[in-house]
Amino acid sequence: MAKQPSVGAGISEQELVQRKAFLEFRDDDLANLMSINDVARQYADSMIEDFYKHLLSFEETSAFFHDPQVLERVKRAQQQYFLRLTQGNYDLAYAENRLNIGAIHERIGLPVKAYLGMYNYYLRAVATRLVEAYRDAPKQAWTGFLSLMKLTFLDIGLAIDTYINSRERTIREQQEAIQELPTPVLPFREGMLLVPIIGLIDSQRARLLTEQLLSAVRANRAKVVVMDITGVQAVDSKVGNHLVQTVEAARLMGATVILAGVSPEIAQTMVTVGIELGRMTTVGDLQSGIERAEELLGYTVTRTRTRSQAT
Amino acid sequence: MRASILKQNRFLIASVQGSMSDADLVQLRDELGSGVRRHRSTGVIIDVTMLDVMDSFAVRTLRGIAQMVKLLGAECVVVGIQPEVAFSMVQLGLTLEGMTTALDLEDGLDALQARAPVRSSLL
Repeated sequence: MAKQPSVGAGISEQELVQRKAFLEFRDDDLANLMSINDVARQYADSMIEDFYKHLLSFEETSAFFHDPQVLERVKRAQQQYFLRLTQGNYDLAYAENRLNIGAIHERIGLPVKAYLGMYNYYLRAVATRLVEAYRDAPKQAWTGFLSLMKLTFLDIGLAIDTYINSRERTIREQQEAIQELPTPVLPFREGMLLVPIIGLIDSQRARLLTEQLLSAVRANRAKVVVMDITGVQAVDSKVGNHLVQTVEAARLMGATVILAGVSPEIAQTMVTVGIELGRMTTVGDLQSGIERAEELLGYTVTRTRTRSQAT
Repeated sequence: MRASILKQNRFLIASVQGSMSDADLVQLRDELGSGVRRHRSTGVIIDVTMLDVMDSFAVRTLRGIAQMVKLLGAECVVVGIQPEVAFSMVQLGLTLEGMTTALDLEDGLDALQARAPVRSSLL
């Protein structure tokens, strides 16, 4: 994973060399690009005008340029980029700059399809102008265009990476957030603990949960533990077995575990993967779990007032 | 011998001290057997609070003690299994099937008092 450039971290020299090698971007490409710099300068204005005319004619992309000031600014930036393409020196600083530009586009929410479409328009517009400029030397137009294509694909690659990295980071952060959801062990009545579990359970979290639960049993001198899994979407065989182990371990410490909130889907999975349910007390919802626990502990709950009397 | 056996009324309380060798366990079993006979005990508590490892031999011996005590007309409760010990036992598949367990000595005594057969006594 170390090879992957990420948005903040930039890109390594080695990675850039590898990317260029894969695109077969060589010194003659550099020369080709620099040789068409004059033409690029000559056509820059009309090229950029056409480009934005194209963008503004589509609702999806024109939405980004409502503000005329913004439009003016991005036009200038675009022109700089266009000229930069034929100015040589495609080094690490160049790549970093491309990554930053990609990150900006990602942040404003420009879709990838629009980004790619813009590059496609760019290449087509440049090709037309090159052919026009080198009417007498079509070979030069062709080689210049090929070199430009290599460079733009390098740029596209970098930009798309920023999109992917950003998405991956979001996913990673969300996963961490889900895993770090605290699992409180709540003393509910004397000798009774309530453990509501929410979110995803993986092996690591299941282990942590068991440790917490067992030490809470000791600390609270609990006889009955109601484990509520209403907020758990899925249980696989690993997690299911872990739950069984927790129940068994609690029993060794003299506590009974009641598994509450088993959804029909989870019950189905547990049956299918063959989790030994025989030694587990399971109930449908938390209320039944608490009622069962109270029964085991010898509690009776009596209502002293009817609802109409309670204000 | 690394276990001390105390008599408390009708019950025998065996406290296991630290790590127990297999020989210690066998000795504990023998002494509990004769103790139950001698004192006409109705219950036996084995307190393993100090134990930090419970292997298959220990589990087998405990089960043996429980069965033996039952044959002698008394109940057996294992108390004080620590969270880490409990979890590693479960992972090894040693679940003390069919045996009574309790959190600590106090709960163990409660459990025995609740189920020990009532005996006629002099007023």
